[in-house]
Amino acid sequence: MPLSNLPFTVLFTLSWRNLWRNHRRTAIMLGAISVGVWAMIFMTALMRGMVNDMLDQGIRNLPGHIQIYHPDFRDDPSVVNSIPAPSGQLLAVLNQPGTRQWATRIKVPAVIASERDSRGINLLGIEPAREDAITGIGGQIVEGRYLNGVDDKGIVIGAKLAQRLETRLGKRVVIMSQDPENNIRERGFRIVGIYSAKMPGLEEFNVYSARATLQKLLNIDGLVSQIVIVGDDFRDLQDLYQDIRQATPQAFEIKAWYEIDGYLNSMLKMMDGFVLVWIIIIFLALSFGLVNTLMMSVFERVREIGLIQALGMRPGMIVCQILLESLLLLLIGLIIGNSLAILTVKPLESGLDVSMVAEGLAMMGASSTLYPSLTLADMLLANSVVILLGILTSILPAWQAARLDPVQALNTT
Amino acid sequence: MSTIRCHQLCKTFKQGEEIITGLDHVNIVIEEGEFVCLSGPSGSGKTTLLNAIGGLDTPDSGEIHMGDTRIDQLGKGPLADMRLHHIGFVFQAYNLIPVLSAQENVEFVMQVQGVPAQQRARKARAILKEVGLEGMQDRRPAQLSGGQQQRVAVARAIVSHPDLVLADEPTANLDSVASTHLMKLFAELNQHHRITFVIATHDQRVMGYAKRLIKMQDGKIISDEFQQVQPGEEIEA
Amino acid sequence: MSNVSLRLAWRNLWRHKRRTWLTVGAMIFSNSLLVFSMSLQFGSYDMMIENTLYGFSGHIQVQHQRYLDEPKMRYALPDVAGTAQDLRDQLKLQSISARASGFALASSNERSFGLQILGVDAQHEPLVSTIPGLVKQGRYLEAGNSGEIVIGSVLARNLKVDLGDEITFIGSGLDASFAAGVVQVVGIFESGIAELDRSMAQINLAYFQAVFSMQQKGHSIAIRVPHIEDVDALLQQAAGLLAGREQVALRDWEALQPGLKQAIQADMTSAWFMYMVLIVLVAFSVLNTQLMSVLERTREFGTMMALGLKPSRLSQLVMIETAMMSSLGLVLGVLIGFAITWYLSIVGFSYPGMEEMAAKFNLPGRMYPSISLVSMMLGPGIVTIGSLLAAIYPALRLYLLLPVEAMRAV
Repeated sequence: MPLSNLPFTVLFTLSWRNLWRNHRRTAIMLGAISVGVWAMIFMTALMRGMVNDMLDQGIRNLPGHIQIYHPDFRDDPSVVNSIPAPSGQLLAVLNQPGTRQWATRIKVPAVIASERDSRGINLLGIEPAREDAITGIGGQIVEGRYLNGVDDKGIVIGAKLAQRLETRLGKRVVIMSQDPENNIRERGFRIVGIYSAKMPGLEEFNVYSARATLQKLLNIDGLVSQIVIVGDDFRDLQDLYQDIRQATPQAFEIKAWYEIDGYLNSMLKMMDGFVLVWIIIIFLALSFGLVNTLMMSVFERVREIGLIQALGMRPGMIVCQILLESLLLLLIGLIIGNSLAILTVKPLESGLDVSMVAEGLAMMGASSTLYPSLTLADMLLANSVVILLGILTSILPAWQAARLDPVQALNTT
Repeated sequence: MSTIRCHQLCKTFKQGEEIITGLDHVNIVIEEGEFVCLSGPSGSGKTTLLNAIGGLDTPDSGEIHMGDTRIDQLGKGPLADMRLHHIGFVFQAYNLIPVLSAQENVEFVMQVQGVPAQQRARKARAILKEVGLEGMQDRRPAQLSGGQQQRVAVARAIVSHPDLVLADEPTANLDSVASTHLMKLFAELNQHHRITFVIATHDQRVMGYAKRLIKMQDGKIISDEFQQVQPGEEIEA
Repeated sequence: MSNVSLRLAWRNLWRHKRRTWLTVGAMIFSNSLLVFSMSLQFGSYDMMIENTLYGFSGHIQVQHQRYLDEPKMRYALPDVAGTAQDLRDQLKLQSISARASGFALASSNERSFGLQILGVDAQHEPLVSTIPGLVKQGRYLEAGNSGEIVIGSVLARNLKVDLGDEITFIGSGLDASFAAGVVQVVGIFESGIAELDRSMAQINLAYFQAVFSMQQKGHSIAIRVPHIEDVDALLQQAAGLLAGREQVALRDWEALQPGLKQAIQADMTSAWFMYMVLIVLVAFSVLNTQLMSVLERTREFGTMMALGLKPSRLSQLVMIETAMMSSLGLVLGVLIGFAITWYLSIVGFSYPGMEEMAAKFNLPGRMYPSISLVSMMLGPGIVTIGSLLAAIYPALRLYLLLPVEAMRAV
């Protein structure tokens, strides 16, 4: 039956007015749909926010979207497995528009000793400005200052580490590591800055010095441990990856973030699946009430349906009328639910403080502030699922109504 | 739309364990423009025959022809179309859609047919005036008396000038004045617009208006006579 | 509540078969989902705790009271091995192991690393930690020996050492004296937990104490409790035994691994939010059904009142009907939930991406939900309560308004 033949106005009038015939029932059903839709979107926004945070943290701490390093570096993160700083073609590729930011760094195991204690640490030789642009370390300084340029002679350590070492800003510490010939190299550094990281574990482990200074100390002029690169979109790195691959000597290892940290990648995939499952579960819980409501409505109108059939409404039209009734119910519920969700998420967007479970979240890779993220894609998904599955669920009651025999229906008491 | 031909119609119903005969080999021919009354006690089959002619119910066996079309074998869809465009119904009870106002009820069939809004509204208002319900067009059935509801039903049945009007006890809830008024309206429509009327009734006065009186009993036609129209006393309201 | 009421209530339910079944259906759906979800949840929490604590830290540790916040060499326990033995005797538990820890620079032929060296009681450590059992190459330490070391696989790789190679370590002793030793790698373990594999090195406790001039001191006594439910009881007992000692503190696993408890809490909170939404939706469903049921029977109730029944009796009827539906939903929901969960507890349950996620929390890549009385009844129980609460409004409305309405209707 062609849709253009449907007398929409009268179908709409019947559907709308029938909806409000039993306003209590309709109101309760709307309440349920609103709550369900709200929960769908609210929860999804929270989870999305958490995953985004985890991804952000994870990528910042790798750091970067893509890393280049010596093929043996991953298994043996020693100064021996260093690569030359980028030049020629690679340098050109790194400086092109597709790369948002890149930096070289040195990353070696070392020992830090204060007057009172010693610790094993991750010693990083960085290009301060570039590094900050990628990991935001500059903004995490809580005492003293950040490093100025690649020749800075000071070091920056984490607050927790300072505590463990029983030392503080301004004091000297000794840094000990080895050069490529396995000779021990040590030097005194003054603590010029103290930082506080979002993830408690890293504070005790990462110590920052200036790259050139460290290169000199370790006798690796012109060499670095990693080149880290940030593109425009962490989800879409194919082009950038290809360009870099082509410009890099075969010997080097190039890995994207999802290859380096399998956890992050699976987290992302899992979240998309989880959101859909959550939405469907809520819908299923609602569907019982939806079918019930429609069936009750049809049941109450059996005589009327018999009448309009007698008057000449085709069975197809009757199906449409009932579906329309259901659709109106769903749409109103969706509008209310969506509005509620937006109203409750917006105020939280500036950050929900969950520091109560900070260490627990750190275990999962999330920071202690939750920023819910309301995305159009998620909202669209929720709304589409509700409408599509809602209409599907309504087909049974609608079809049953159309199948009523007019004579019997009219004679129902 | 022309002649209605029924040939050997049979229909039985099951009520619990019992089998009830609705129609028992009914044969009848009704020409275009006739004014027929079906009378008989309840259970005689007049409603069943009405429903069969109107395509609301399919007989167990036998044939019904409406003009050149054989309707006892049509599907639900085509039957609905037939009713929509060609037949007006007035049922014994439950004639109106509760959520629509009187005017909207009258306009209903025209809306489904696709008649433009202004035209519909004009016709609806006119016909409501004719049946004496001017001023009540916005009331819902719950706000109208039984008789008023019946009149709205009649208005709806005839507003789109169907070829055939089937009425089941149309005067059941009306007083004498209203009944007379209604039958006069029917007679007029029958005379001037050649609308065929088949009316099932107990009411003597209604039977007086019939040009042809068919008596039924136990599913069979026991008499079928043409008669003089006896309109009954004219009572000025 | 008489027989008649029950029969009446039951028959009323089945007057509208479809409506009742749809309402019960919502309950069955939610209940089975809750049974499955909670079984999975509780099972994984237990496993997470067990695996993490059994990995290394144990359920309880005895430490110097300042050691937890400031893990310094000088915050040591006197006579750590003796105390451990005392505890073993008094608590009648063998899974108690003494440890000491200190920083050292470990050097192989080619590499050097700064790390924490652990002195352990080779005899009892395997009862407390899984690491001795996870030695993949070579063997674990033997009690009484010196000069042996067991290290993690990643550490071995980073130091470029194999079984039989020598490692020299230099550190600072308790009295700030120079501590140095040469050890041979006798075993390499692989736990799958990156942190342990990368940074853990173990030598014999006695040897550690000698090298680091500890005398009889140590830093912690780790206790592994066989059943996690017994932790509190054991904590009490141990506290009693250690009462007199100065500057000694008992730390339970929540203090030792705050992240663990918090991660579980965070997960619980979000799970409960989701459960509550489900329960609320079921309650809505019940509210709708029962309210409609009450409203459409106004006239009938009116007749019954004319026959002498009190409105309170009729309200009761509504509650009984709700209780019957809820019971049906409970029983069937629990049965179906149990069936699904039982099946999955044998076959295992996993979804894409779970393996990597699970590894982070010391969980296996395939989950086997564990059924308990709580996991089976808690969710459905709350759904039932929610349903009964939802029926209060219709019942109340009936009680308050019926006399007036009935008079009008009849």
